[in-house]
Amino acid sequence: MKKVRKARRVIKVKTPIENREIEKLRVGDQIEIEGKIYCGRDAVLPKLVELIEGNSLDRIKVDLKGAVIFHTAVSPAGIGPTSSNKVEIEGSIPALSQAGVKIHLGKGALSPKTAEELKKYNSVFAITPPVSAFFSDRMISQRVTAFKKEGMEALYEVEVKGFPAIIAIAHGKTIFATH
Amino acid sequence: MISQKRIEEVVKKCLIKAGTAFRKDQLDAYRNAIRKEKNENAKWVLEKILENAKIAGEKIFPLCDDTGIPHVFAEIGEEVTLPKGWLSAIRNGVAQGLRIMPGRPMAVKGNPVERVEQSKGLFNDPGKLSLAPVIVKSAKGNQLKITVLLLGGGPEVRAKTYRVFHQRSIDVVLREMAGWASSEMKNLGCTPCVLAIGIGRSHMEASALMLEAMKEGNLNRQNQWEKKVTEMINSTKVGPLGLGGDTTALGTFIKIGPLRASGVRIVSMRPCCCFEPRKATMVLSG
Repeated sequence: MKKVRKARRVIKVKTPIENREIEKLRVGDQIEIEGKIYCGRDAVLPKLVELIEGNSLDRIKVDLKGAVIFHTAVSPAGIGPTSSNKVEIEGSIPALSQAGVKIHLGKGALSPKTAEELKKYNSVFAITPPVSAFFSDRMISQRVTAFKKEGMEALYEVEVKGFPAIIAIAHGKTIFATH
Repeated sequence: MISQKRIEEVVKKCLIKAGTAFRKDQLDAYRNAIRKEKNENAKWVLEKILENAKIAGEKIFPLCDDTGIPHVFAEIGEEVTLPKGWLSAIRNGVAQGLRIMPGRPMAVKGNPVERVEQSKGLFNDPGKLSLAPVIVKSAKGNQLKITVLLLGGGPEVRAKTYRVFHQRSIDVVLREMAGWASSEMKNLGCTPCVLAIGIGRSHMEASALMLEAMKEGNLNRQNQWEKKVTEMINSTKVGPLGLGGDTTALGTFIKIGPLRASGVRIVSMRPCCCFEPRKATMVLSG
């Protein structure tokens, strides 16, 4: 008899994200993100942290409450996750979480210390494969929000639909430590 | 005689094909892995990668937004007469390919120090991304064989060129390299990988051999040592994207060059990402 694969439950997540929605997410959950997300990586995330720490985030029009930050460049070649464990990116996660970012989206394992920081602010880390051609079908619009000089590494706001990811770190638990 | 124009055209086509299309051996490897994989999250990743390849091939769109640094092999037949400026033709073909594909505009502006510090921003033109030094090899006959490889940034972060005390055993050498690769798998993120290995006498030679392994390797043709290294990597159970499962590596490509009388081998290891090696080869007859 042919084995039938059980359909997986996909949790829909719409930005801005409420704290109670994050509380329901578990490591290994498959999610689909919809709405406006921010895209930034090595060059701009430390700059964003500087603004947060200097209480001057209002200098740029960025609302981090309930936000998703996707660790990616934005270019004519599309979008796709860069390694989130790079110093500039992983180092920005605590301050950005404190400022309201709920989902940090990227790839690669993060340290236990970062997992603790995420737990502290009720934020999660999700991962997604670097499938840029696939993502190009799920992008509705894009615009530069800040740090334009950085080119493809500027801070972008991108509107997405059905954007797939898997929860990798949530509430002090990590998918990377399970094997 | 092969013209400059033909070289440009072939390099451009190779670059676009390398960046947007899966080869048959990659498609076969992914289909096999999906069939065997028991971890549902891992299977989901493998299916998404295959779906991505289908869309990229149909739309001629980059497989990955990190379209990579172009590396070119030119294998020149001894009876071929090349035109003046053939290296410039390769450079122009790369720039044209990057503009059409399109490549990611990631060339850094400024003087050497400004480039290191990335303080002057980036060029908007994808064609400004210069290619790595061309590797030239001689061959028999009257053909010019061009191969373009696109090397992404993630694997470059995790690659390593170093020395191994071989103790007169290939097993010792490969075990040590597989150990390096295994320790990088979780952080690589874009697994399943293909491990490329070069074994030579100097760091330059080992790196070039590793690149040659990427050029020549085929996932449907794996020798006993390549299979053994792949098994070692897969025993880590890191799996696709670090989600666990049996598919951490799809295969291994090994290239061994001439070696010297010594207790040391200089080796180069690159854990290529889930789309790599992104490569395409075309032949021009003189």
